[in-house]
Amino acid sequence: MKWVLLGLLALGAGLVVLGPPPPILTARRAVVAGAGRPILPMRFVHDDHRGVPCATCHHEFVDGTVGTTCIDCHVTDPKVSALLERQFHDLCRTCHVEEQAAGKAHGPTRSCIACHQLDDQF
Amino acid sequence: MAGGLGVLAAVVGLVFAVSFAGGTRVGGGWFWDFGNALGFLALGGILFQMIPSARGAATRKHERLGYWALGVAGAHALWFLVGDGAVRVYLQPGAPVAMWLGLGAVVGLALLTSLARMPDRMRVHRRFRTFRTIHRWLGFAVVAAAGLHVGLTGFYLSRWVQDGLLLVVVLACCLGRQHWARLATPPVATGAGFVAVGLVAAAGFLLLRNLGG
Repeated sequence: MKWVLLGLLALGAGLVVLGPPPPILTARRAVVAGAGRPILPMRFVHDDHRGVPCATCHHEFVDGTVGTTCIDCHVTDPKVSALLERQFHDLCRTCHVEEQAAGKAHGPTRSCIACHQLDDQF
Repeated sequence: MAGGLGVLAAVVGLVFAVSFAGGTRVGGGWFWDFGNALGFLALGGILFQMIPSARGAATRKHERLGYWALGVAGAHALWFLVGDGAVRVYLQPGAPVAMWLGLGAVVGLALLTSLARMPDRMRVHRRFRTFRTIHRWLGFAVVAAAGLHVGLTGFYLSRWVQDGLLLVVVLACCLGRQHWARLATPPVATGAGFVAVGLVAAAGFLLLRNLGG
C-alpha cells in the first residue's frame, strides 16, 4: 500500500508542478504590468457585462478616485495588491452565483480555468 | 452492521445536506459538482471514522473504511488537478490558506492511515495507548483542516448558518463518547456500504444542483 500511496503523492506533486497533460489548458502565474508579484492571468470580456451597472465594478465612478486605471491600484499598489485575488473572487464569483440563482445568463461560478486564461489562448 | 450503515448514511447525508441549508442549490456544472461530491463524501467518511467507540473485533473494518476515505479524498484532489489546469496554481506557493488546508488534510489522512496500518502499527507504536492518542489527535487535525477547507473556500458553504451546521455535525461525530456508546453495536461499516451510500448521496447532490430550475 505504501507504494500506491507514494505513487499517488508523486502523481499529485507532478500535476501541481507540471500541470495536466495536453489538450487540457493550463494557467501559470506571470508578472504583468509592473506587478510586484506574479499573478494569474484573467480573461474578462467587457461586452459580456453590458447588463451590469458600471459602478458595480468601477467604484472610482462613485468614490472619485479618477485619473488612474484598475491595474494601477489593484495590481501594483502594495496596499491593495495583496487583496487582489480575494477581492476579485468575491466580486466576480458572488455576482455570477447570484445571476445563476436568479436563472439569468451568468459567468463561471466554479471553474478556475474558465476565467484564468489569457484571451489569445481561448 | 445495519446500524453502522445507518449511522454512516446519516453522517454522509448530513454533510451533503449542509451544502443545501438555507435554500442554496446553485450548481457549478457536472465536472465541478462531481469533484466536490467526492470531497463531501470523503469528509463524511472521515467524520464517521471519528465516532468514538470501543471497536474490538470491528477494528479491521474501521481500518478498511479508512482506506476508502483516503482513496475518495485523493480522487477529489486528483480529479481537479487533472481536469482544471488552473487548480494546481492554488496549491503552489502563494495559494490561499483554504487550499493549503485541503492539501494538508489529504496528506494528514495519508499519514494517519499509514501509521495505523496493521501489522506495521505494532512496530511503529510499542504501546496501544500511545497509538490511540496519536491516532485520535491526528484525526482531529485532519477533520479541522478538511472542515476549514470546505468552509473557507466558500463554494457550497457560503453562509454562517451552513458553517454552524457543519460544526455541529463535526462536534457530534468527534465528541459525545458517552452518547455514541449507547448504540447496541459499534458504528462500523464496510467499504461496499460506503460506496453505496456515496453513490446515492453524490447522485442526489449532482441532480439537485444541475437539473431543474
